[in-house]
Amino acid sequence: MSMLEVRDLRVAYGAIEAIKGISLDVDEGQVVTLIGTNGAGKTTTLRTVSGLLRPVSGEILFDGQRLDTVKAHEIVKQGIAHSPEGRRIFPLMTVEENLELGAYTRKGDSIAKDVGAVFDRFPRLLERRAQKAGTLSGGEQQMLAIGRALMSSPRLLMLDEPSMGLSPIMIQLIFETIAELKSTGTTILLVEQNASAALALADVGYVLETGRVVLSGPGKELLKDENVRKAYLGED
Amino acid sequence: MTAAGSSYRRAVGSQARVVALAGAVLLVVGSVLPWARFSGFPGKMTLAGPGGARIGPLLLALVAALLLRQVPGSARAVRAASTFAFLITGLTVFFIGYSGGGADYVNAGAWVALAGALVYLLGGLGLDPSRPASSPPRSLPDAPWALPAEWLLTAGSTAVALYVFVHGLGIQSANVGRPNDVVIRGAISINALTNDGEFLAFLLLLIGLALVATRLGLLADLSAITKKHPTVFLAAGMIAATAFPFTQNGNGYALRIAASIGVFAAAAVGLNIVVGLAGLLDLGYIAFFGVGAYVAALVSGSVTSTIHTHIPFVFVIFLGAAVAGLFGILLGAPTLRLRGDYLAIVTLGFGEIFRITANNLDGNSGPSLTNGPNGVSNIPDLTIGSFSFGDNHHFLGVDLPFQANYYWLEIVVLVVVMTAFLRLSESRIGRAWVAIREDELAAAATGINTTRLKLLAFALGATLAGAAGTVDAHVVKVATPDSFTFLESALLLAAVILGGMGTVPGALVGATILYLIPEKLRFLQDLRLLVFGVVLVLIMRFRPEGLIPSSRRKREFHDDSGGADALSMPPGHGEHMA
Amino acid sequence: MQTFLQQLVNGVVLGATYGLVALGYTMVYGIVQLINFAHGEIYMLGGFGALFTYTVLLPGGTPVVLALVLMLLGGMVVSITAALLMERFAYRPLRGAPRLAPLITALGVSIFLQELVRNFYPAKSPRPFPQLVDPSHQFSLGASVEISAPRLLTVVVAVIGMVALSTFVRRSRTGRAMQATAQDPDTARLMGIDTDRIIVTAFVLGAALAAVSGLASGLQFGTVDPRMGFLTGVKAFTAAVLGGIGNISGAVLGGFTLGIVEVMATQYAPDPFSGGAWKDAWAFVVLILVLVFRPSGLLGERVAARA
Ligand SMILES: Nc1ncnc2c1ncn2[C@@H]1O[C@H](COP(=O)(O)OP(=O)(O)O)[C@@H](O)[C@H]1O
Ligand SMILES: [Mg+2]
Repeated sequence: MSMLEVRDLRVAYGAIEAIKGISLDVDEGQVVTLIGTNGAGKTTTLRTVSGLLRPVSGEILFDGQRLDTVKAHEIVKQGIAHSPEGRRIFPLMTVEENLELGAYTRKGDSIAKDVGAVFDRFPRLLERRAQKAGTLSGGEQQMLAIGRALMSSPRLLMLDEPSMGLSPIMIQLIFETIAELKSTGTTILLVEQNASAALALADVGYVLETGRVVLSGPGKELLKDENVRKAYLGED
Repeated sequence: MTAAGSSYRRAVGSQARVVALAGAVLLVVGSVLPWARFSGFPGKMTLAGPGGARIGPLLLALVAALLLRQVPGSARAVRAASTFAFLITGLTVFFIGYSGGGADYVNAGAWVALAGALVYLLGGLGLDPSRPASSPPRSLPDAPWALPAEWLLTAGSTAVALYVFVHGLGIQSANVGRPNDVVIRGAISINALTNDGEFLAFLLLLIGLALVATRLGLLADLSAITKKHPTVFLAAGMIAATAFPFTQNGNGYALRIAASIGVFAAAAVGLNIVVGLAGLLDLGYIAFFGVGAYVAALVSGSVTSTIHTHIPFVFVIFLGAAVAGLFGILLGAPTLRLRGDYLAIVTLGFGEIFRITANNLDGNSGPSLTNGPNGVSNIPDLTIGSFSFGDNHHFLGVDLPFQANYYWLEIVVLVVVMTAFLRLSESRIGRAWVAIREDELAAAATGINTTRLKLLAFALGATLAGAAGTVDAHVVKVATPDSFTFLESALLLAAVILGGMGTVPGALVGATILYLIPEKLRFLQDLRLLVFGVVLVLIMRFRPEGLIPSSRRKREFHDDSGGADALSMPPGHGEHMA
Repeated sequence: MQTFLQQLVNGVVLGATYGLVALGYTMVYGIVQLINFAHGEIYMLGGFGALFTYTVLLPGGTPVVLALVLMLLGGMVVSITAALLMERFAYRPLRGAPRLAPLITALGVSIFLQELVRNFYPAKSPRPFPQLVDPSHQFSLGASVEISAPRLLTVVVAVIGMVALSTFVRRSRTGRAMQATAQDPDTARLMGIDTDRIIVTAFVLGAALAAVSGLASGLQFGTVDPRMGFLTGVKAFTAAVLGGIGNISGAVLGGFTLGIVEVMATQYAPDPFSGGAWKDAWAFVVLILVLVFRPSGLLGERVAARA
């Protein structure tokens, strides 16, 4: 049984159907990536998994339990963390307060230790711990968003376009972080437009087009697929 | 609630139709039997045969016949009919018993009808409530008689509207002369009570029938037909409105009420430009109306005016409009760039400043202009040329008391405001307003000068209100600060919202209902604001598009989404961009 | 000079009332972008709840301090209950509706509550309020500037309430969650914050503070009136905007500023426009000027930047 199973999911914004029946699986310990052009429905998929949107039909199972009727704030407690598109850090709070909010569902003093762990992973954040998060650079905000997601000690980490709008150096750093998380066994569902980097890292990849899965398979194979290379890796 | 409803429907299952039909038959039988054992209740309720408040349940029971030939929407129509049949029957039985002085005064027919209505309701609630797939409005077959038939329908609909209005208005005035011969319960005479009961039953019948017609798609069909012949529709409407005083046979009271409804409706249509078309929430609209009223009062030649001048009314109406419009510009220009909900507060503040100022300019707390709380009174009757609006007339064998003159004047004002509204809403400006209302940023991105257009809507609304105010000053003959309070603005807004934002018929219906109900239901008089408050909340909750929605508004409010974002999107989402 | 100082004190007292009520507006607006018109009525209900507690529930001869505490609790119970009901049944069903809808609902709730009390709370309007704190007892603030006991109490209680709220919002876990929800409600839910509960919390806290203010004005003016919420409500909203809507310190600062400006304008405005009759007009003039010249307030807004 997969850790996360999505079955025939349909999601609509008003009358417009954004997800037209997709299915996907994420196994424990895997990195699974969703790629596709802008507007394909990647963000919508993640937001539906974390309960911010409700599906029209289909089901989402986490550890075999229905997730699509659970409220968003309960889903976090079940072990799914979501670092949203555009980072969405809390701009008027300090770096440290943002991280503590990441652990909102947890109790106890291991929180301070985990804040320390995030600072170890991203020393840049330690330097800015008392600074308002809104004043951070884009790359630092992304580190904060990932760190904040990790603070809930998730079993499944969902990252929505973590490399969006960052400098090449920052992008490299972010992907290194993801690789590192993978090596420690974290299960990750990664949405990316940077298809080559994402597929190189992923165990499994899904290609989304206008709300449907058009192709799926092991990341390495998709990387070699001619259609994928043409459409997403900018080759002809 | 819905869960309980669906499990009830499952339990009743396919028996619902049979139950509803049986109940309806019983109700028909009950409604032709005598209901009352005393004659205090209007409408020959002591005799057999249909009459008085029994007509409503009878008509609504007949709707059940739709179940014999299933047409789209029939189940929902019967649900509505059974609900309202039960409400009306229950209410009338209660009023009969109450005004008679006990259940003994209720005759057997009423009990039969009540039992029938209950069974009808139980059957009706078991019917399938789901909306049929929407279909385009039907039209008459392509035959030579279709065109005259369409004209007839168009004209007929205005005649029906006039009849309904006259009947509703007449319920009380017809009884005004009746001796108060029955027991007095507290301060309320039985007459007043039975009138209230009759009016309420009439109102419920109207709502019930309107719902039935809506659910069968008949209203949509009719409005599609009337839209095809706007000239016929307008002409018929004008004739109906003009003819109204002739139906009243000298009843000045009814004409005065109708004239007041006219003013109220004109102001509501004006406000609808601001709120309904441009989406600007104006909570101080009555102040612009008040500006017009004070301008007219001060230069009317009234002995209580501090300005001892008399300017002919044909000029005053423009003067009042201009002054009000000027205030609109002064207030709107700096504030319209603000976030929408701030505008609501600013206009509210302006309304208060106007009221306080009118109260204070009494030569005591401030310069002498308005006579303070006493206001400007004894405003003389209007004269235009040699025609005095204070004269009674006799024409075509009908008494036309002087109130008829003012009534017709109000109709002219109303037509002017309505024309302005309709011309604007069809124009490029109107479309730009709608674009701004729906998404200001997107509108600005397409090159619309949003600030200027919003100012135009705001100032235009103010101007029309000012013009209406000048007329009103002569109708009520006095201008006092008390007539222009925040609550008046709130009531106008309620009229617009109740009727339907962005449509002329909506504002007319809303204004009529909001004016007439407290006028008619005396027991509600003290509670009328309380009821308005509840009505506002309920409308926003269950029918935010109002009774007569514009088709676009309806879509806006009832975006039948698959539930996406159904959880906790706060209001104002998408309004505030960083 | 002495008049000036005395008016300054009067302004501070007035501002304390506005500030307490403004906090309710600012919290709710900060989190759901709703101008809760009916918040003024919550304040009014606080006054009536306290009056009801005193006249109906308390036995005669209850010690003054105990009576005051119980009246405050009674007022809070009424205010909070009303706020909970309106949040649940009027506003919550409208989330996601077009912007005008909740605003109109708020107006409806406001009219409804006012009329409910006017029609059904027995006795004439305005209703006499027990003078538990002797208004003729004056404290001297030096230089013949004085403040009466109930007014002093108002300021003291207001400051305690404001400090308590601000500490709660800055330090407590729920307070943090409130800030997060105000800044980005969707992301707050991703953190595991039950935003529905946070919205309710904002309504409850606002109602509690409004009840404090309602009791204080009852003691100060010796009456409560079903219509008292309207003006105070609008002015408190002005104070909230003046300070920067959504900003808690802003509401307090805005309240005091507005109170002082109103009192000073009434005293020092050019001749025919000074004096009590123009007092409210000045408050609204300030409102319009603030919105025109500094719509984001003195301390800046704290409203979510929603995309
Ligand atoms: N809030 C929204 N309202 C309406 N449509 C939306 C909304 N968000 C996304 N969409 C539409 O849904 C589709 C999928 O969008 P999204 O999930 O954001 O795509 P991706 O993340 O793959 O770029 C797009 O067509 C987009 O226009
Ligand atoms: Mg996306």
